[in-house]
Amino acid sequence: MSVIEIISKYRVEFLLGLLTTLKLCSIIWLIGIIVGALLGIAGSKWKKAVGMPSRLASFVLSGVPILVLLFWLHYPLQSMLGVVIDPFLTAALALTTVNVFLVADTIRNAMLDFPLQFSQAAKVCGISGRDIVLRIQIPIILRQVLSGLLLIQVNMLQATLFASLISVDEIFRIAQRVNSEVYRPVEIYTALAFLFLIVCLPLNGLSLWLKAKYTRDFSEK
Amino acid sequence: MLRCYNLRKSYQSTERIDALNDVSLTVNPGEISVLVGPSGCGKSTLIRSLALLDLPDEGKIEVDNISYNFPFPPDKEFIKPWPKITVVFQQLFLWPHLTVRGNITLALKTAMSNGIENRYEEYITRFGLNDLSNRYPNQLSIGQRQRVAIVRALVLKPKYLLLDEITSALDVQHINRLMEDMKEIRNEGTGILLVTHLIGMAKQIGQQVYFMDQGRIIEQGGAESLRQPKTEGLRKFLSIVDV
Repeated sequence: MSVIEIISKYRVEFLLGLLTTLKLCSIIWLIGIIVGALLGIAGSKWKKAVGMPSRLASFVLSGVPILVLLFWLHYPLQSMLGVVIDPFLTAALALTTVNVFLVADTIRNAMLDFPLQFSQAAKVCGISGRDIVLRIQIPIILRQVLSGLLLIQVNMLQATLFASLISVDEIFRIAQRVNSEVYRPVEIYTALAFLFLIVCLPLNGLSLWLKAKYTRDFSEK
Repeated sequence: MLRCYNLRKSYQSTERIDALNDVSLTVNPGEISVLVGPSGCGKSTLIRSLALLDLPDEGKIEVDNISYNFPFPPDKEFIKPWPKITVVFQQLFLWPHLTVRGNITLALKTAMSNGIENRYEEYITRFGLNDLSNRYPNQLSIGQRQRVAIVRALVLKPKYLLLDEITSALDVQHINRLMEDMKEIRNEGTGILLVTHLIGMAKQIGQQVYFMDQGRIIEQGGAESLRQPKTEGLRKFLSIVDV
């Protein structure tokens, strides 16, 4: 059985798996970026009240592998609390939490590193505080973080594969299931690798392009 | 007239540093005042204080008929003196995401609603920046960037222009050109306060000279102060830098 034949035969399963992966990704990306950006902005503004707890949480999370976090949320925590939560929701919660803190860290650091003098140069030109934020701070900071944020999102997409280990029927788990039926690991996992390459490579390329285009040298050497 | 009286400002690091100590100074419209002094003597702090970017601890600043008395109540808003007073910083701080046109017109858009293009064209032609309109700051030479920073300030037609060590990275050709530009700006009625290490330049264009050391104005006078210094401090300083 060739790759085309396998994909054709199990197309419904693969599509459902892909859809689950995309659904999971959409939740992780959307909430992660919005909440992470808000947390990052708040953390740079209220350094002690928000910034420090957020950094601490991020520090602790960075020491826990995503897989361990996922397993811990799925088995011990639910058993301790005596609840059963849909594995999809558990995976979404775990990966979104990681994404939120990664995004928050990136945004907060960029905001704290923002050279104040760009704002002061605007101030002495008579530019209003609102315009300084909208036309100078946000565009410069966005250009600085865009490439990094994109890479984080690609990593989060790849991390969705771990969800298969807590029984989420995403694309990798479907591939495993199909493989257990037809036993063609070379073809199936190669096809899966290509699928991820098709999605991730353009995003990585876009990230590099954005970095080259927009990450300007602040020192103006 | 831009004038400050008895300004004091100190910072607390490992020990208390008096950056400004009883500093009084005047910048008249249509006149170039030059501020010289060794590194770390408080020149940039004075510029930032005069521009009300860092508020002094004590003293008074007058911008024409508006007085600012210090210490200033922290919760009170003050009348913004910008862009009547504007500053060109040593590191220029052109906005890196905007082209030359963007850098200059962004400031202009806040100052006027009509005639932006005409004013822009007038200044970039005058400063020879026509071919650079669509370039970003990192695509310009230091001399070009410096002219853009000056034009960004000048298009706003400030009454007082504070220039903080903008000559530090320039070659002779650029310095000569800058001197001509400054004379022209002065003749249009702008009061300039120039911080520089270039004593030759200060001698040529300075009408008022202030020598600062350890946060104090040690000597002040006309351009002749640089030829015949009265104080030992200025004499020593000149013997080191005026070679």
